[in-house]
Amino acid sequence: MATVAEPVNYNGKVINFPLERQEENDIPEDMLHENLARPSTERTKRLKARCRWKHASAGEFIDSEVRAGIERMRFITEAHKASEGQPEVLRRALGLANILNKSTLVLQQDEFIIGYHAEDPEMFPLYPELAYMAVQDYLMSDYSPQPKEEAAAINEYWKPFSMQAKGERYFSKEDLTRMYQVSTMEAPGFATGYNSVVPPYETILQDGLLKRMEMAKEKIKHAQEQMEQIPWNANEGLEWIAKIDVWKSMVIADEAVINWARRHARLAKIVAENFESDPARKTELLEISEINHRVPAEPCKGLKDAFQAKWYTYLLCHAIDRYASGYAHKEDELLEPYYNASVIDKSFQPMTYLDAVEMVEMERLKISEHGAGKSRAYREIFPGSNDLFILTVGGTKPGYLDACSDMTDAILEGARNIRTTEPSIVFRYHPVGRVKTKRLVFECIRDGLGYPSIKHDRFGTEQLKYYAQFSKNNNGATDEEAHYWANVLCMSAGLCGRRKTQKTRSEGGGSIFPAKMMEIVLADGFDWSYSAMQLGPHTGKATDFKTFDQLWEAFRTQYAYAVSTVIRAKDVMRYFERDFLQMPFISSIDDGAMELGVDAVGLSEQPNGWHNPITTIVAANSLVAIKKLIYDEKKYTMQQLVDALQANWEGFEPMRLDFLNAPKWGNDDDYADTIIKDFYEDIIGGEMAKITNYSGGPVYPVGQAVGLYMEVGSRTGPTPDGRFGGDAGDDGGISPYMGTDKKGPTAVLKSVAKVQKNQKANLLNQRLSVPIMRSIHGFNIWKSYMDVWEELNIDHVQFNVVSTAEMKAAQKEPEKHQDLIVRVSGFSARFVDIPTYGQNTIIARNEQTFGAEDFAFLNTQL
Amino acid sequence: MKTCESCSFYFAVPADAGDYEPGKGDCVTEKEDAKGKYWLSKPTTNVSPSCSTFK
Repeated sequence: MATVAEPVNYNGKVINFPLERQEENDIPEDMLHENLARPSTERTKRLKARCRWKHASAGEFIDSEVRAGIERMRFITEAHKASEGQPEVLRRALGLANILNKSTLVLQQDEFIIGYHAEDPEMFPLYPELAYMAVQDYLMSDYSPQPKEEAAAINEYWKPFSMQAKGERYFSKEDLTRMYQVSTMEAPGFATGYNSVVPPYETILQDGLLKRMEMAKEKIKHAQEQMEQIPWNANEGLEWIAKIDVWKSMVIADEAVINWARRHARLAKIVAENFESDPARKTELLEISEINHRVPAEPCKGLKDAFQAKWYTYLLCHAIDRYASGYAHKEDELLEPYYNASVIDKSFQPMTYLDAVEMVEMERLKISEHGAGKSRAYREIFPGSNDLFILTVGGTKPGYLDACSDMTDAILEGARNIRTTEPSIVFRYHPVGRVKTKRLVFECIRDGLGYPSIKHDRFGTEQLKYYAQFSKNNNGATDEEAHYWANVLCMSAGLCGRRKTQKTRSEGGGSIFPAKMMEIVLADGFDWSYSAMQLGPHTGKATDFKTFDQLWEAFRTQYAYAVSTVIRAKDVMRYFERDFLQMPFISSIDDGAMELGVDAVGLSEQPNGWHNPITTIVAANSLVAIKKLIYDEKKYTMQQLVDALQANWEGFEPMRLDFLNAPKWGNDDDYADTIIKDFYEDIIGGEMAKITNYSGGPVYPVGQAVGLYMEVGSRTGPTPDGRFGGDAGDDGGISPYMGTDKKGPTAVLKSVAKVQKNQKANLLNQRLSVPIMRSIHGFNIWKSYMDVWEELNIDHVQFNVVSTAEMKAAQKEPEKHQDLIVRVSGFSARFVDIPTYGQNTIIARNEQTFGAEDFAFLNTQL
Repeated sequence: MKTCESCSFYFAVPADAGDYEPGKGDCVTEKEDAKGKYWLSKPTTNVSPSCSTFK
């Protein structure tokens, strides 16, 4: 049966915690999550039951039907060969057009939002022009595109043209080999093809593509007139050539997109008239046909239009033109005008609030079916999910006025009802946010979805204004634009809207791994536990470090090398992306690219440089233990530590326990926190901030682990925090190491709040007590926690609300726990689809309960 | 030789469509697997030789 939390004496009263929903008393504790889904309609219930999930576990697709398609790689290659000699930006447009004109379209039973990115709903496309190694990996797997010989020939064709071939030329073999180990540094994007983007959805919904085409044509006409002016002025006149090509590429791309959408309209009509026997569905298919004929060519007029146009834009920007993870947009504000037209005014596509919720549920299931042709490494780091699909809601408008709306609520209610791992949701928390919406945020969290993750609204907004000062063309974010942001992926705020959004991951994203750096700092930069190679600069023998400061500076040297190398790799990629991976469709819907005649990939108006340190806390806790036990108390020598680590602590258990029991992050311990605060602000952020990236601005750390804390943990030898070699790293960006935060939830907040300088974002993973959250006091406790979190100026927090009993039951009988969702780090996953190694890291996280001291600190009203 | 034009799955592209070309059509077929029905549309031409799904 359900567990009820023990009473607490607080403010002279005995506080009991009966469950809010009485009926849950009869639900076994280890089956709770199987009883929480409540799809809004029979249609969404059916769609979920037959959803074509494309989850991976340990890098392998769970559903044996999932595989790569060949059409996209075939058609882009065909166009590339046929367009030889033409300007590169036109070749990119013609490539997209060839894919859209010739690809097979898919329409599925029951769906209202239509469109897919491969020739079969079980398939996903590949991108040989981005990363031939990733395609090679597929060719050697069971998911290979067919015919395999044709795919292999295509991959071979692209090798000399690929980003990898272009980028590698500017790095030494030594640096490349180090990056390809993915143990101190993530492999460069020009080799992996991993990418992210924030499409300017607003222009396509507000303007429609016909208008965008007209704008581009007007620009071309104007440019040609300027070129023909007498007397000829080469200084100005020659500038128009590249611009004309960019605008022409926009026209080619947009025309192809319109025709592609209208092919979908024809398909829906043909199915209605020739295949469908149900009169209601027939009528619906004809409505779908009408919508798809109209959008995205024309501006959206109602909520159905908006969902469909948004979906097409997503497919184009994230899967067809280029691969890009993410689902970055400010969905509630983007859709609110169309919600108002359909639900409030009922002026177009009239519907009820519950109809809007159903639309949300249908969209979530579309995303859940979306397959990503990313490389094995990137499948491994998102176990139990498809990819990183994350949208943002809540927050504020200019003047810090509440931006929540009924559309926000519909998005949250749909997510709570349908229970899918994806898309994840970010909620921008601000005190002015309405309580009604925060209650829905809480209900999603309470029901164990792991989202919304919470971002500090003011922190993100002010950060974007700060970056604006570095704009290369003095056109960074205005105050109004800075309020309109979403997380680009899991953690980093980035602009949304009609221009200045992030177009490529070479601006922000990519990882470095301090835990492994800590390991090699103790071995003169040599990696003895995994790759058996010199993984970083020579920084001296650890036994020669006479002071803690010498160790500190050696770490700084390793870190500075790694950070500069990985960001140089991103900027080298950006250089070639600008010239060879232009994105004419995105350019056409970006107001900046349209105005200036510059392709959106190369154009940078708003800098937003960031990179992800992952496993920082393992390194930080290690420094604390070394300082205390070797330099302060002199209980051990550095030689003893090096010997113990080389033996993976075997034969040194009492010593390991001393290092394990040294002060740890997350307990409001001044000794540990003083060192760790300096580590974050002086080295992790301080060294990164010295860098200037492609966009002319500094780069700041965004600590977020995703699944890399497992992958890199397995490649990291034993560390001085008492961790064994191969154990997982820390699961957040600033989260305590699993199981080491022993002083309660508010002690964690107090520790984390101490780090403020030189940070862009840091992921805080917390696991909260199920009985407390599901009690009648759950919302009040959570909201008081969140209000204090906000006052403490902490950037982020996300929650697991799932019992150990339920996770262990799922490990024994996975087939009975298909609806058990957990938060990994930055994304949510189906628990049973995570490898056991990863499942155990989530079970090991400390389940925070709340005591009287916590309630007093939070000023919780009970 | 049978061609797409005489197949019941062939639907000529309307003359007012943006991608209209003389003889161009959509080949629309119904599929079904364990997860339900779906329909595929592939571009074709009226003179293309018929395939195994010809009906």
